[in-house]
Amino acid sequence: MIVNSYRGWYEAVAHAVMPPVMSQINDPKVAFAYLRPVCVLLTKEPTVTNVETLSEQLKDVHEGSLQQLQEYVLFPLRFVLKVTGGKKEKLVQAVAEAVSYVLERTCVQSWDTLHDLFSELCSCLCSPTDPGKPADTSEELRSAMLRCLNALLHAAYGDIVFKLYEPRMLPELGAAISLLLILGEKDKSRDIQAAALKCLQSLILHCDCTQEHVVPSSDERCSVGGTMASFLPGITKALARIITGDLRQGHAVTVRAIKVWSRSVGLVMEDSQLQSRQSCKTPSSDLGRIRQLVVQRTPDWVKGTVEKLCVLLKRIISCTSAHQHWRVRLEMVELADHLLATCGQSLKECVGPLLEALVGAINDDEPRVRERCEVALRDVSQRNQSGTASKNLTDVLSENLHSLATSLPRLMRTSDDQKKLFVLNVFLGYLKVLGPLVSVVLNSAAHLDRISKALMQVLELDVMDVRIVEERSYTDPIDGYSSSHDSYTAHTQRKHFLYFTDEKIFSVLMEICRTLGYYGNIYLLTDHLLDLYRQSSAYRKPAAMVLNEMVRGAAGIAVAAPANRLDGSEFQGRSASTEDLKATVVSILEEYTSLNNWHLKTVSEETDTDRQDQKLLSPFRLQSISSGDIISSTANSLQVIPSSSTSPATPSSISTLLQLNSNIWQLCIQLEGVACFAQALRRDFRPLLMTSLYPVLEKAGEDTLLVSQAALSAMMDISKACGYSSLKDLINDNSDYLLNDISVNLQRLSQHPQAPRVLTVMLAHSDCSLLPLIRDIVQDVLMALDLSYDHSAALFCSVLHALMKALARWFPPSCCRTSKSLSFRTSAKQEDFDICQFLLDYHKQKELAEGTGIEEDETEDLEVPPPPECEDADDAGGRDVKAELPSHLSITKDIMERCIHLLSDPSLRLRLKVLDVLEQCVYVLSEREDELLPMAHRCWPALLQRLTDDPLAVLRAFRVLCTLGETCGDFLRRRVSKEVLPKLSSSLARQAPVSAKAGPVYTHTLAYKLQLAVLQGLGSLCQRLNLSEADLDAVCEACLPYLSCRQPIRLQEACLSVFRHLIQVDPDTFWFTLNEIHCPSSYTPPHPDLQPLQLSGMGRPRDEYSDNVLKLLREEFGSDSLTHNKPVI
Amino acid sequence: MSRPAPCPIYTLRGAGAPLNTLHFRCPGGDTPLLFSGSAKGAIHMWNLNSRRAEMVVEGHCGNSVIWVSTLQSRDSLMSQGRDMQVCLWDLKEGRSEAVDSVWTGSVGFCQCSLLETSPSNYLLAFAGSQTEEIKIIEMPSKSPVSTLIPDTKLGMVMCIKLWKSDSGLGPLLFAGYEDGSLLLWDVTQRSELSHVKAHPEPIMCLTFDPRHLRGVSGSCEKKLSSWMLDNQNNIQLQDCVMLVNPGVSQLRIRDDSRLLASAGWDHRVRVFGWKKLQPLAVLQYHTDMVLSLAFSDHQDPRQRLLAAGSKDQRISLWSIYNERADTG
Repeated sequence: MIVNSYRGWYEAVAHAVMPPVMSQINDPKVAFAYLRPVCVLLTKEPTVTNVETLSEQLKDVHEGSLQQLQEYVLFPLRFVLKVTGGKKEKLVQAVAEAVSYVLERTCVQSWDTLHDLFSELCSCLCSPTDPGKPADTSEELRSAMLRCLNALLHAAYGDIVFKLYEPRMLPELGAAISLLLILGEKDKSRDIQAAALKCLQSLILHCDCTQEHVVPSSDERCSVGGTMASFLPGITKALARIITGDLRQGHAVTVRAIKVWSRSVGLVMEDSQLQSRQSCKTPSSDLGRIRQLVVQRTPDWVKGTVEKLCVLLKRIISCTSAHQHWRVRLEMVELADHLLATCGQSLKECVGPLLEALVGAINDDEPRVRERCEVALRDVSQRNQSGTASKNLTDVLSENLHSLATSLPRLMRTSDDQKKLFVLNVFLGYLKVLGPLVSVVLNSAAHLDRISKALMQVLELDVMDVRIVEERSYTDPIDGYSSSHDSYTAHTQRKHFLYFTDEKIFSVLMEICRTLGYYGNIYLLTDHLLDLYRQSSAYRKPAAMVLNEMVRGAAGIAVAAPANRLDGSEFQGRSASTEDLKATVVSILEEYTSLNNWHLKTVSEETDTDRQDQKLLSPFRLQSISSGDIISSTANSLQVIPSSSTSPATPSSISTLLQLNSNIWQLCIQLEGVACFAQALRRDFRPLLMTSLYPVLEKAGEDTLLVSQAALSAMMDISKACGYSSLKDLINDNSDYLLNDISVNLQRLSQHPQAPRVLTVMLAHSDCSLLPLIRDIVQDVLMALDLSYDHSAALFCSVLHALMKALARWFPPSCCRTSKSLSFRTSAKQEDFDICQFLLDYHKQKELAEGTGIEEDETEDLEVPPPPECEDADDAGGRDVKAELPSHLSITKDIMERCIHLLSDPSLRLRLKVLDVLEQCVYVLSEREDELLPMAHRCWPALLQRLTDDPLAVLRAFRVLCTLGETCGDFLRRRVSKEVLPKLSSSLARQAPVSAKAGPVYTHTLAYKLQLAVLQGLGSLCQRLNLSEADLDAVCEACLPYLSCRQPIRLQEACLSVFRHLIQVDPDTFWFTLNEIHCPSSYTPPHPDLQPLQLSGMGRPRDEYSDNVLKLLREEFGSDSLTHNKPVI
Repeated sequence: MSRPAPCPIYTLRGAGAPLNTLHFRCPGGDTPLLFSGSAKGAIHMWNLNSRRAEMVVEGHCGNSVIWVSTLQSRDSLMSQGRDMQVCLWDLKEGRSEAVDSVWTGSVGFCQCSLLETSPSNYLLAFAGSQTEEIKIIEMPSKSPVSTLIPDTKLGMVMCIKLWKSDSGLGPLLFAGYEDGSLLLWDVTQRSELSHVKAHPEPIMCLTFDPRHLRGVSGSCEKKLSSWMLDNQNNIQLQDCVMLVNPGVSQLRIRDDSRLLASAGWDHRVRVFGWKKLQPLAVLQYHTDMVLSLAFSDHQDPRQRLLAAGSKDQRISLWSIYNERADTG
């Protein structure tokens, strides 16, 4: 405490130079005179007031003077303590506070004072009746006493404080220590617990407060250590109880207890002390009975103690390493560091657990813990480098790793998530600490086997989820993909594992794999894991997962920057070079995409096609069609087939279901793997796209939702990793590779049925720059189709459909006709509101018809020229037949040619598909009428047949007709009115009375479906073809019966839609027609000169038609007041 | 055949025109290359590792390229086009410049033949401007060596093959003519050594194996004609091989003298054992006439590929009968 005494002097000087604002008494003599009366008074009358007066006055005295008057001031206070014997609590507390004040500002130079005060304070703390127990005093008093005791220990002068640890002091010291321990353990107040432990910490000379402390020499330390050895068992046990005790006691107490534990063990078991002879010197013989208390730190004693300590240590570690409060975990790191630093030799048995504690904290969530831990581990490795123990440490670490790997599966099965996480963190920590030595450790077959098996078992997937198999992506690839990429990335199925659910655990496991890859020998690991992969189907998925992450790790992706390494080589990074990595990736990819591992069954085949057929024919499907645009309505919905439609679950079906699930997951993992490899190699992966992109695209076209999604996200990862700006770029840049495989595989369709699918996916994702290459491949497709009409026509039709859709997207035809009809319609609408203009026009027309307004013909002439021009263009096209068609058009023609043949295929599914393709063909070809019309002519007979086919086909045939009508209206109008409409209207008219009378069962008959289909399609057909009035009348005639409310409701609805379309074409006529049937209001002319209006529907009673007619009039012609102004001719 | 017919390991597309000629160049250690000459005058240099065209040289003003070859000694490429020019290209360091050209004057389809006599000099044989004329010049000096004109009317020169025998004679030349005659010329002596009528129709192609002194020629009929040279340098006709469909555009013997491949007009490549000419395989991929064939000269026998160029604008690469490689 030399320093302490100096401090007083220094401050005295400081004050002399710079007098404080409220000047303190600096002259000892003045101070004495100032304090004397109070001290005397206090001695005479020991009251609280007097003590407080003294305390007040003490504050006016400068520390330097106080030091000189220390004995004098303390005397009355101690006297009071003695006199009261701790009876009057208030008084004692005031005294204790005053003493603390004095001690905190002075230092104790005489042993007697120290000794006396120590024992007096201790006796005040303990209960007067039972000295072993703390007194039952107030909390404030105990707190004050502890503060006082702490101040005393701090104030003790350097020479004398060590007398406290002489053997003859053992009884007193022991009493104090046990008292403090009891307070620390049992007291109800946390503050007192902490204060007591703090005191104890001061007592073992390891206080960590900001004040300056005695620095014991090695001899002194040795003697203190020897003395404390007697109390070590008691201290460590009690503290361990505190540490492992109630979690609610708050982290401050636990932290303090851990600190005291580690310091006391460190003090007693210090290597340097135990190695020197002094520790074993025999105590002097003049101690009497006290001699029994003295402990000799002999090797035997050390051995026994270490064993016990080890047990305690393990308990402490297990209790605190996963503690919720980071300060506790930090303190554990401190403990491990301190003990490893000071007594690594003597506590040999504890090195394992201590390292484990350190290693477990290396992945701590709290950065401060992590940093401290890294520093500690670096120190450990440095210490081991300098000494001979390096070998040992590596051994310890690898042994720990081995045993951990052995117990890992068991732990993962039995413990809770918190514990699992910790265990895995420790595992990871070992790998990180071992660093490059991991590859050495893995060279041992036992280690490699243990670790990989452990990972295999831990990562076992739960494949029970039935939905996986059931989920289907009926999404049309083109519409689906181009519309929403986000939804795909967002919807990634989580993997379900058998042994854990926490996502954190999974991420730690993945980091373990990456770290293995980073440090381990990549060839060795790959070979071993691929062996496991091949060995059993149970290991296949985990092995693939590990391989994927390992490769990523080997590339240094998402591996924490290595801070500690045992061999100290700072700059040696990952073990694998890019070349190694490439070779590894190639071999893994080969395995993944080999026939057995890639072409796995994900769909139970027997149900697949049937189910699709059923789906197509189900009423639900019909409804969705009727609701309008089929493509848009089903494109974005991922349809889940209700499980009720599957066969009841028999045991065998469950097992196959599991098998399918497992296959799906395996594919997903392997697809993820391809993405991982791309990330690992980045641009170097580009050459590998030659072989790997095709399989991925193959899966992207798969029906199973999960697989196709995984493939899609893999594609996106690949394109990002390889430096392509988008999926489109990825596919366009590698289209030659893809098309090559497609072309070769198309020729061997029986072995490679996936080829058309790949083409579909490609088309969905690329743009027209692909066309030159596509043109090449389309020839292959068509040839393959020609060679296998009966087997795979359906498959090809979907390709052709995709192709045509892509073409339609890439080359939208300049659609002049639709806009024309639109403008016609709008102009018709405008006329509604302008009677004047109408009458003027009418007048003009009439004049023209009578031949009067010939001079105005010039304006007409201007409008005449276009037709001849058109003819010219046609002629030119006719003359110049050799001019090469743009390739997309020639492709379209080729495809259309095939469609004509396939239109009459016996399979309904195929026919429907072909109709879809045909529609697209017509749309694309509409650009060139001279090409379209001959083709339309050729497919007309087959198309006509479809109009009397299954209702579904009828509907689609209608759509084709409509598209055709839009583009080659004139050409088609006559045919429709001659060949189609009479048939349809007659059949409608014939069926109308039947359906009107039929019961509810009728809706299940084919006749009904046909009626419905025709009615649903007829309206738009009429509108698109711009039919003549006579035809429209015929249609109207045929449909009118269906406005009856006696008809089935859906037929009524369909009929309403027909009328809506008809009204669009010619509003006036149909307004009149409807009003003829039923007229809700009478029309009074606006001027008396005009004749009153007579409509046959007027004043008619409500009948079966009135509801629907009214509905139409209301919806289509607005309110009745508007119809009021309607011009009628 | 017991095993199913093999697939091409890869197809090169994008040439955009029928492929008249193919030539491999696989320098040791470097990327193996394949040169192709198309009917639209483009010479493609295909990188066989990336399987993409690394360079496209437009050299004959859009006229069909009928022959390409490289010189062993240098990084130079020779090409012959229907514009009656033979061009020499410098390909060093990615350049593609025509450094020299020779006017042939031939309007026919006869491909040139090249014989490297020393590291710096080589002989080039080509059909001349007259109907039956064959010219041989020494390059790079372009000094004429000889002009060979047969005594009788044989029609146009269809194909030539320049080679040097071990017997010490000067360079010899096989020439196939329009009337089906096959002649052996001594270049230095300008003398006809032998004359046989191998085919009734024009000889479309011939190839010769100097090691076994055997050759084979094809025509537009259903027959391959094989022949050999005896000690007096007389051509002796041997067995014929009958084909299923008529027409052969090119014949090639692999460097190890074990395989003969024929490019058929029936879209198929046929592979024969060279020793006994027994048919081994029919390679079917192309959708139009196969026009050209080439065997790779790669150092690793397992990477020695067969390339076939077709009128359908594609090149197919096949890995067949490579040392114990199980691709066949």
